[in-house]
Amino acid sequence: MFKTPDWGMMIVLYFFLGGIAGGSYFTAAIADNFGGAKDRQVVRWGYLLSLPLVIICGLLLIADLGVPTRFLNMLMVFKFWDPMSIGAWMLGVFGLFSFVSSVLAFSQSEPMISLRRRVSLVGIIFGFFLASYTGVLLSVTAQPFWSEARLMGALFLASGASTGMAAVSLLLFVSGEAAGEGWGKVKRADRYSMIIELVILVLFLGLLGSAAAPITTGAFAPAFWGGLVIAGLLVPLALDFIGPRAKSAALLSAVLVLVGGFFLRYVILMSIQT
Amino acid sequence: MARTLAMFTDTSLCIGCRACQVACKQWNELPAEQPEWTGTYQNHAHFTDKTYRLVRFVEKPQADGGLQWHLMSDVCKHCAQAGCLDACPTGAIYRTEYGTVNINQDTCNGCRYCVSSCPFGVVAFNHDTGRANKCTFCNDRIHNGLGPACAKACPTESIQFGFREELVAKAQKRVAKLKEMGLKDASLYGADPNDFLGGLNAFFLLLDKPATYNLPDKPKLPQRNVFADSLLSVGSALLVGVGALLAFRERGQDKGGDGDV
Repeated sequence: MFKTPDWGMMIVLYFFLGGIAGGSYFTAAIADNFGGAKDRQVVRWGYLLSLPLVIICGLLLIADLGVPTRFLNMLMVFKFWDPMSIGAWMLGVFGLFSFVSSVLAFSQSEPMISLRRRVSLVGIIFGFFLASYTGVLLSVTAQPFWSEARLMGALFLASGASTGMAAVSLLLFVSGEAAGEGWGKVKRADRYSMIIELVILVLFLGLLGSAAAPITTGAFAPAFWGGLVIAGLLVPLALDFIGPRAKSAALLSAVLVLVGGFFLRYVILMSIQT
Repeated sequence: MARTLAMFTDTSLCIGCRACQVACKQWNELPAEQPEWTGTYQNHAHFTDKTYRLVRFVEKPQADGGLQWHLMSDVCKHCAQAGCLDACPTGAIYRTEYGTVNINQDTCNGCRYCVSSCPFGVVAFNHDTGRANKCTFCNDRIHNGLGPACAKACPTESIQFGFREELVAKAQKRVAKLKEMGLKDASLYGADPNDFLGGLNAFFLLLDKPATYNLPDKPKLPQRNVFADSLLSVGSALLVGVGALLAFRERGQDKGGDGDV
């Protein structure tokens, strides 16, 4: 009876990358304001990662429109109660914050660092917004699977935070800074986010009940249970808590978190769209 | 604002001739589509970007093993509280001075949010033009003193057009008459503004439960979820934020691990 919007892989990718962009910016901002000198690389990589991602996000959204040249039409209207309208605005605003923070991330002077910290405390709000509004957007539709639990935004936010942290920890590893104290802190923060995500996911499934059937049973069940729940949440948590203390285990866990974050968006979007 | 216009579809009078469906296609210059096998005489299964009026041929199994036909000419409901209109981020979907809901094709950018926000599955995406389409209530006709093409073409007055309050009064009399005749389940769908969505400007007289006609019992406005879901997101943000603070706080050197956040 309900019609689905034909949102395909571009929107899945947008939801996934938008979550990472918001999550990595938020991680950097927390490390910047509340961490110490040893977290400097977390701060830099977190800000720098969010900028290219938010640009890709904007391009994906524009490319997905039926009439891409009309993307500016969204910026001629402001509806505060409409996630699609406010989301388009906030993507732009977050892009600005991400740009300013990224530029300031290269500065060594004390006043610039102090400015960066203050900017990021406001930017953090928009980072959170980008990571969660996509969930609220799905929840504000006529589709029972998307709308009945009212936890989609909360779930996407926790996933965005954990994937953002996983991405920052991967960058630290690749750039050879995994030995620093910052890496350990990012991994610890990621663990907390994953636990929060897991709890919200359980509540989400419980509240949906039979309406969760599109992901818990049928063709998308392997991607949901295998890709998200086991590979994306339980295995990384197990690796972090009881696994070997080796760097390779921590690296594997970060990769799996990203895989899980992708599958979360994939199964939720695609399972009810045929 | 001018007086609210409405369409009243009385399913007890529908004979399934599909004159409305054809008149709609002709007036709105909607091209033909490949027919699809739905298991009944109905074509298509649902509204499409080229089918704004759709006669539903519902076959209801009877106790004696036979089938009873429920015929219903379905259309966009032009809801007083319209999910598609609230969802539209470009303002392309607007309410006319007659209370009808219309999509401005010159500003729609094809984001498709309205498609997923319609509680009735009416709005459809047109892949050829990259824009969303639905019944316009024959916007060009009503602004020139004519009724919608479907109502004009209906040979049994199953589809009636007029001012809303007058049509509702007429419909209520019709329900009372049908009940007198023994059709106990006859009822109006969407006529009362207090029932759901502030009332439908295209409302119906049904002879059975709404579900029989593939209609939701109590359609809900999607935007009801904005506040609760946003609030829970903020809660999730606070939890994640506290987690990150715990991980990143600089521990006091002489306090044995106590935080100084």
